[in-house]
Amino acid sequence: MTEHREVAALLPWFVNGTLSEADRRRVDAHLSLCARCRDGAAAERALFERIRGSDNAVEYLPTASLQRFNARLSAAESAPNGAPRVSPPRAWRMPRALAAAVAVIALSLGVWTVTGRQRSGVLATPPHYRTVTTPENRPSDEVIRAVFAPQVTVVELQTLLAAAQLKIVSGPSEAGVYSLAAISTRPVDDSLAMLRRQPTVRFAERTRSEAATTGLP
Amino acid sequence: MRHGNDTERVNAVAAGDRRALEELYLAYHRRLARFLARFIANFENVEEIINDTFMVVWSGAKDFRHASQVSTWIFGIAYRTALKALRSQTRAAARRFEEHADRSVDPTAEAEQHDWLSHGLAMLPDEQRLTIELVYHMGYSLEEIAEITDAPVGTVKARVFHAREKLRRHLPALQGGTWDEDRRAL
Repeated sequence: MTEHREVAALLPWFVNGTLSEADRRRVDAHLSLCARCRDGAAAERALFERIRGSDNAVEYLPTASLQRFNARLSAAESAPNGAPRVSPPRAWRMPRALAAAVAVIALSLGVWTVTGRQRSGVLATPPHYRTVTTPENRPSDEVIRAVFAPQVTVVELQTLLAAAQLKIVSGPSEAGVYSLAAISTRPVDDSLAMLRRQPTVRFAERTRSEAATTGLP
Repeated sequence: MRHGNDTERVNAVAAGDRRALEELYLAYHRRLARFLARFIANFENVEEIINDTFMVVWSGAKDFRHASQVSTWIFGIAYRTALKALRSQTRAAARRFEEHADRSVDPTAEAEQHDWLSHGLAMLPDEQRLTIELVYHMGYSLEEIAEITDAPVGTVKARVFHAREKLRRHLPALQGGTWDEDRRAL
């Protein structure tokens, strides 16, 4: 390999600033003498800037993801073989849009689907049927359950919930249902009405009585 | 008990400490999500890969010998998990790619520049694309990428070299051309 090629191969790390001191000096020395490699370094910097500048603005919610991870880990560890298992390839999973559609249909029929078995990756778990009113495993502060349109972005969802004075306390479930809690003393029915006016809300129902929601901060 | 650094956390995870696992999860979630969101289609799948990664961290911590940094080890697991996911999604991704290519767009718009860059990156083989993201987007060193991808340093250099050549061929704007030229090239 010629000096040109060796230096060219190091340029990506020259522009991202992680080259060792010795390699950096070597590249510097070569660039000071070679116009062609200086052009190469300029192109490299342009690529670097463009890729770095193309970062997306999506905001992630690590604590919500962590809740789902913990649920999955607990399910895996309580499975008959007791071993944590990595999910099967995503290709055969139910797409989110389909999951949301199923959620709406299932809720209107009062029946939950059993897709949770597939998504959790713990196929040995027995079938798990629940009705919409089954109280088990619901957060104690849940006041509303809702299903959002699959195309809603995280930022839109945050804005909507802030306006309705609600926060996510768990979800989405396997069928796309979120449990929401109040973050103010605003009447829950007002928050519910506001959610139901939004085109991005596919389904919203109240799950606790007014008396049960008093005493909020 | 809160753990002071990643090494302590991994040691605690190896001993079965779920709290330490949660600390690691929260410490790495944002960085992993930033990396994975570059080539995984939607938020839900990004989260699934992160969760798959931490399932492996949970079961594999006892075998981690600290020969590399904890961050390199975790990104290595995420890299392999993402590769598997990408390979299983190839057909769907190809379809999305074709739909994207058929769109009529204004190539001068900033958002579309990002689209065309994404388009150019999407044309690369998975290993080349992931490696490019590790260099340019995540800012890893050559040696760290060799550890993350479990490949010799020479292989990493070759992957990046070939990826850059393809990108420059398909995206002449990177060498002073215009995005319109880029679009025609694609």
